[in-house]
Amino acid sequence: MNLLFKHWQQRWRMPELRLLLLALIVSVTVVTAVGFFTSRVENAMQAQARQLLGGDLVLTSARPLDAAYVQRAKTVGLETAETVSFPSMASAGDKLQLAQLKAVSSGYPLRGDLKTAPAPDAPEVASNGQLPAKGEIWAEARLFAELAVQPGASVTLGRSTFTLTRVLTQEPDRSSNLFQLAPVVLMNLDDLKATELLSPASRARFNQLFAGKAAVIKTFQQALEPQLKPTERIRTLEDDLSSVQQTLQRSGRFLGLAALLSVVLAGAAVVLTSASLMRRELPAVAVLKAMGMSRRQVLFDHAFSLLLTALLAAVIGVLLGLVLQFALAEWLSRFVGKDLPAPSLMPIVTGVLTAVVLLLGFALPQLLRLVNTSPMQILQGALQRPQQSLWWVVGCLLLAVFGLLWLQSRDLPLAGMLLLGLLAGTGLFWLLASGALRLVQAFGKRIGAGWIPALGRSRRAVLLVVVFATGLFALLLLTTVRTDLLDRWAETLPADAPDHFLINIQPAEAEPLTRFFDAHAVKLNLYPMIRGRLVEVNDKPVKPDDYENQRAQNLLEREFNLSSFAEFPASNALLEGKWFAKGEKGLSIEQGIGEMLRFGIGDKLTFDIAGQRFSDTVTSVREVRWDSMQPNFFVIAAPGSVTDMPQTLITSIHLGDKKPLITEMIHQFPSVTAIDVGVILTQVRSLVTQAGLAVQGIFVFTLIAGVVVLIAALQSQKAERRREIAILKSLGAGRALLRQRIWGEFLLLGALAGVLAGLLALTAGNLLAYYLFDLDINLNLWPLLVSSVIGSVLVGIAGYWNLRGLLTVLPLSLLKS
Amino acid sequence: MNKIAIQTNDLVKTIPQAGRELHILRGISLTIDSGESVAITGLSGSGKSTLLGLLAGLDLPSSGSVKLFGQPLDGLDEDQRAALRLGRVGFVFQSFHLLENLTALENVMLPLELGTQTGDRTALATQALQQVGLAERMGHFPNQLSGGEQQRVALARAFVTRPQILFADEPTGNLDRTTGHEITELLFALQEQFHTTLVLVTHDETLAARCQTHYRLVEGALA
Ligand SMILES: Nc1ncnc2c1ncn2[C@@H]1O[C@H](COP(=O)(O)OP(=O)(O)O)[C@@H](O)[C@H]1O
Ligand SMILES: [Mg+2]
Repeated sequence: MNLLFKHWQQRWRMPELRLLLLALIVSVTVVTAVGFFTSRVENAMQAQARQLLGGDLVLTSARPLDAAYVQRAKTVGLETAETVSFPSMASAGDKLQLAQLKAVSSGYPLRGDLKTAPAPDAPEVASNGQLPAKGEIWAEARLFAELAVQPGASVTLGRSTFTLTRVLTQEPDRSSNLFQLAPVVLMNLDDLKATELLSPASRARFNQLFAGKAAVIKTFQQALEPQLKPTERIRTLEDDLSSVQQTLQRSGRFLGLAALLSVVLAGAAVVLTSASLMRRELPAVAVLKAMGMSRRQVLFDHAFSLLLTALLAAVIGVLLGLVLQFALAEWLSRFVGKDLPAPSLMPIVTGVLTAVVLLLGFALPQLLRLVNTSPMQILQGALQRPQQSLWWVVGCLLLAVFGLLWLQSRDLPLAGMLLLGLLAGTGLFWLLASGALRLVQAFGKRIGAGWIPALGRSRRAVLLVVVFATGLFALLLLTTVRTDLLDRWAETLPADAPDHFLINIQPAEAEPLTRFFDAHAVKLNLYPMIRGRLVEVNDKPVKPDDYENQRAQNLLEREFNLSSFAEFPASNALLEGKWFAKGEKGLSIEQGIGEMLRFGIGDKLTFDIAGQRFSDTVTSVREVRWDSMQPNFFVIAAPGSVTDMPQTLITSIHLGDKKPLITEMIHQFPSVTAIDVGVILTQVRSLVTQAGLAVQGIFVFTLIAGVVVLIAALQSQKAERRREIAILKSLGAGRALLRQRIWGEFLLLGALAGVLAGLLALTAGNLLAYYLFDLDINLNLWPLLVSSVIGSVLVGIAGYWNLRGLLTVLPLSLLKS
Repeated sequence: MNKIAIQTNDLVKTIPQAGRELHILRGISLTIDSGESVAITGLSGSGKSTLLGLLAGLDLPSSGSVKLFGQPLDGLDEDQRAALRLGRVGFVFQSFHLLENLTALENVMLPLELGTQTGDRTALATQALQQVGLAERMGHFPNQLSGGEQQRVALARAFVTRPQILFADEPTGNLDRTTGHEITELLFALQEQFHTTLVLVTHDETLAARCQTHYRLVEGALA
């Protein structure tokens, strides 16, 4: 054991082993950092899910729930409570804020406890069953800040004015709290009616909470389930993942995959270094075998060294990963306004496994060849590498890469697809790199620079370009997506694009509201908004289970917005059929929803709108620009066909510097909710920027991994270089000339990698822009320039630094060893 | 101790190459006594190194037999043959083959670390280096040593286990005349001191003349 350790220390003197360690550290760090971070986010979601219900059983609906359920629960001895929540405007003086209103009945919460504080910075205390008294509200600290008020202030909600008494710090069912941007306002359910905020068409969430003995709850639930209306559901934990949470989950995955790119690159470094490590160890093993070393000893000796290296890399990597995730978590907590819970320890396992898999798949097959080195070789002039079938090496590699992909994605088919994608991507880069080198070669021939043609033939040069270009590409693509696309999108919006949405307008308010805005020279286009559930297509019932697609299922489970008007929306495009002529009946659908739910022109759709059935036939299909800042609808009915259905009205307006009008409007029309698009846009922008930064941070590791591979590649060809330089020197090449050549070669390779990465990033970015975001092609050549400069500087420095030692050595001694 | 160190009978080594057999050794029979010094000479490519490898059990013959320390090698696998050599056989090579990442001292300690040998390895290795006159250079790495010095380290490494047989494959082949001479003197001095059996491959006739027995290889056969 002591000896094994001593031998490891002795190997440590070889740059190859240190490079191996470095490559492993990079992969472990990035994997654990991302792992810790995503686990913290997941823990946050779960911790939230655990207390989310506020009762043992929760019944939820977008419509008012039947009071009979509560009666039934009471007769079997269950406790009950009710809540209603919806977004609404809260105002104090001339300040306005969008809030998430939550009206609760006595008894709430049945499980868990509310916590409040007397003032925003005061310590919190449990409320012990207390709720806001009539005429009082409690709100999250954010509302105090946004409205610039202190406890005791008057706050208007709809038609009522309340006294804001306490700061709400915790509710057990803070489902939509952690990742929601509007502050929660808690009020007594008895006060709700007077606010007149709730109409049959309002977008609200109604909950009935039940608590009691587990057995009773269970029988109650079983009895309840068959009787539920389609809009009513027993609430499960996943229901409340807000879209921001989903985004976070997805970006967690994306981070994981981004991390993989670094790991795979680091894997390339591991392959290269272990290959040159093996070449170095080959004579040593042959000599030792001649002295009497057994194969088992060879195996143990090298396996121990490798494992110790992996272990060291794991420890350092995990520590670095831990530090790094603090930065990521800090970033997240800044915009959710909450600290994340501690991470689980699982990422440590993943990190260590990553190092082990990298070694097993990438390094061990190489080093196992040593075991079979024949001692006889030492007596024969040139040492041959022990033969090993290429398939075996490639097989091990692919298996290891697949293992890593699977470790990260935890999804076999996805891992398979990623592997294919990775192979295709590498192939593409390889083809482009060797093509580019050929071009450079031809060019070099023409200008008569004798050393340039040699580059084109070298497979090592291609490898170098590929590896480095991959790292740069990943980094660049993200930069363009993060900064460029958002700006370009904002630019496509005309200057007079609507900046406010007004929702929740009651039909009775349509007239006075239009007059109000007319008086201030603002044109108002009001659209009815009707909430309906699609129940039949061509008289056949549709069920969510009929569709594979998750989005289709969600659409059918929830209600979606219908409208009805005469004028064809300007931001839409007619794809098929005809827009309603005067007096005509029919439905106009959005293209995507028709494809997803498999209906089109001529199909008869039936909706359930608050219990009433409404059917008509599809007469046109539209393409909708969702980012046009205009109200858009999946389904538009012919004008006049839904006037007697419960509805609210919606509009979008451009106010520009007339923004103070909103305050005035809310005072006159308190139940109207105004959504400031600018604020949302800023939030989206900051979310995208921050998420982009996080992913970019991960891609910095890709670049680091790229540099490690670069050094590994340089190191592996050092012996070759040494010979080459010796020959050149013996031919009379001076040191200045050699230095010039080395710089020239690596600057050129780096620039080539940079240009390649820049071009690909430009292409990919524009494809994304064009197909995903509907933006025009934009040839911003800055990234190209930046990346070729970064590439040539980094590669040039690394190359020169690696080879500078060879310049000072005498030609004779170079040749001798 | 066995009277006979190595004995071979009709050693043949053929290598299949491009469809036909390449005959490297054609029927070598010889006996080497304990303590004897034997020179094997021949032109480049005559099969000297191949023979040396077979004598040391680094490889197996295509036919014929080798007995090392009285033990027939044909039934033994690679590891068993290695175990037979362990501690009892030393090697010196033409291109030294020191481990580059190890100091002179560490290189010399290597053979001691392979076996179960107890005792102070550092002391033994230091002593061996003193014997070859390199006490001052113990902490140096091979690339900090001249060719002659490297070969001295190799000699110290070969003798540190007090082997019964020393195999040397052109030990002076990479050295200039004077240095080669110094190494030769050192080699024979050590051989005498430890009563080591010496099997020396060389194409240097004067070197061969210093050995008790002299075999000449011509195209794979003893002349
Ligand atoms: N493994 C092998 N494969 C092919 N040819 C070999 C092999 N080993 C030795 N030879 C050939 O056998 C001949 C004798 O080699 P060797 O014993 O090294 O000669 P010497 O040491 O006398 O120069 C040479 O022609 C060499 O090329
Ligand atoms: Mg030879």
